[in-house]
Amino acid sequence: MASEMVTAAFDVYRFDPARDPAPRYQRYSLDLAPHTPVLSALLKIRAEIDPTLSLRYSCRSAICGSCAMQVNSKSRLACETPIGPEIARHGRIVVEPMRNQPVVRDLVVDQEPFWRHYEQVEPHLILDPRHPMPEGVANPMTPEEVERFKETPRCIACAACFSACPAVEADPGFPGPMALAKLYRFVVDPRDQARQDRLVRIQPGGLWTCLRCHLCTEACPKDVRPSERIRDLKEMAIAAQGATEAGSRHAVGFKENIRERGVLIEAKLVRQTSGVGGMLGQLGQGVRIYRRKPEILKTPHAIEGADEVEKIYEALDRPNEDSG
Amino acid sequence: MKLAYYPGCVAQESGKELDMSTRWVCRTLGIELVEFPSFSCCGSGFVDEANEVLNVAINARNLAIAERAGLDLLTICSTCQGMLSLANLRLTDPKVRTRVDGALKPLGIEYRGTTKVRHLLEVLTKDVGLDAIRAKVRRPLAGLKVGAFYGCHLLRPADELQSESAEEPQSFENLLAAIGAEPVYYRGRVLCCGFPIQFVKPEVASRIAGRQIEDAKGHGAHAMATPCPLCHISLDAYQNQAEKAVGKSLAMPVFHLPQVVGLALGATPEELGLSRHLVPTEPALAHIRAPARA
Repeated sequence: MASEMVTAAFDVYRFDPARDPAPRYQRYSLDLAPHTPVLSALLKIRAEIDPTLSLRYSCRSAICGSCAMQVNSKSRLACETPIGPEIARHGRIVVEPMRNQPVVRDLVVDQEPFWRHYEQVEPHLILDPRHPMPEGVANPMTPEEVERFKETPRCIACAACFSACPAVEADPGFPGPMALAKLYRFVVDPRDQARQDRLVRIQPGGLWTCLRCHLCTEACPKDVRPSERIRDLKEMAIAAQGATEAGSRHAVGFKENIRERGVLIEAKLVRQTSGVGGMLGQLGQGVRIYRRKPEILKTPHAIEGADEVEKIYEALDRPNEDSG
Repeated sequence: MKLAYYPGCVAQESGKELDMSTRWVCRTLGIELVEFPSFSCCGSGFVDEANEVLNVAINARNLAIAERAGLDLLTICSTCQGMLSLANLRLTDPKVRTRVDGALKPLGIEYRGTTKVRHLLEVLTKDVGLDAIRAKVRRPLAGLKVGAFYGCHLLRPADELQSESAEEPQSFENLLAAIGAEPVYYRGRVLCCGFPIQFVKPEVASRIAGRQIEDAKGHGAHAMATPCPLCHISLDAYQNQAEKAVGKSLAMPVFHLPQVVGLALGATPEELGLSRHLVPTEPALAHIRAPARA
């Protein structure tokens, strides 16, 4: 058995904002079996080496979502991340608190920003009091309706996605992947009577800041696939409200742009998204780029078979009966 | 080897230096590029936001063009790579398949689903191979520290694209090492450049780009290199905005993937279109120890 042990070096983030001028990394070395979860290793460190290490955990079984943290820069549940592959890949294990939430102490963060955004999407059924659901009567859904929920209810609110999201990092007003995936869950719920309102309300400052970088989907330990549900919300939002936001104007503008010649007409895109006023605001930048890349103002030749693209649009570019 | 060349919109327009350098590198390495003036835009992720099935259909048309010619499709853009690969995947959903076929069949277009979508990075590292590239290096980039910047859609969603490890990709760094450069590892190398919201929330986009450039610089990179022309727009053409957003001078030259390879294989800066960049590349070139060939 002893031969199967590995010596694991942990560099653990330590910080008490009340006392320490700056965070530091503390090295702990332990002999462990490669399948040992990072959480078990941290608990061993706390029990046997350093009782001052603070961390949050509960179930140890990837159910409660309490032990999300960064392991070698990736947001993970510590309880289901074995040390072996981390050591093999990085030679050591750097453990840090989740990002995008202030550190309370060591690996414990204040999840207030995460929960605040969650509350703001009103994560509960909203019913119209004028049309109460009949009591004692089942309200069956079709298999197709149920299919749309297949991923979102798996969420355990661990905030790994919130920690991994670069849009949250750069814009604290962005609700983040989990809140938006939760919103999706109610927008597609046939019982919810605020579905259109939800789509309208989420757009300013919310939906269109998503970068579709899929880092949330990569970070999610439960395969909720928030980035794909946010994509669905975007399409439904356009169907509900048209292109009313900079983000939806850009998406719809881009779609219309390539319809014309089959290729992107770069010169037109900014006007489609930002309008004439926005174009003026970006004039200086445009001139800077134009000096090196004069093609930005040229209209490219249409592709061969642009008529085929047009016909595909005619066939498919109308409101999808499945959405909304 | 022979591939259906899918340059994408930007490389034919404002990012023409990417097309120039791709052609130079492929010519030098014996990759034959077959051109199809009928290829359309991939939708760049924006059409996917507006209408998922439409996006799949226009890409099924592109994939069908390569399929009829019996060729794998070569992309030089992470976003084109992502969109065309996702179209292949989404077509395995019978509901999507039916709607797409319904739009294509009346046009006499049939796509059986056999076209492989290959990015230049993969073709260089897997098909050509690092040994063959090493053997053709005329000016090793020794002395130049380069931070690879992959671009989201080359990597994610990983389980769907079946790319190399999305969390810890290695191919670009291996390629950089093969041409003599020193790869720089930094957290931002697999993160987002901010481009998708460049026109929607410019200040947020620039903050994101600025952070990745700062990160590369903080780890000692003299230059960055990217397999995606959209990342190049964010990192190079809008770097002045990124500097404003992070409140410091960055002055980070950013190469397209085939430009760094071309430099090592002996191309001149003119052949690679380096003067078309917004951030001058000369400071990076000055780090290369071997003299430039006349």
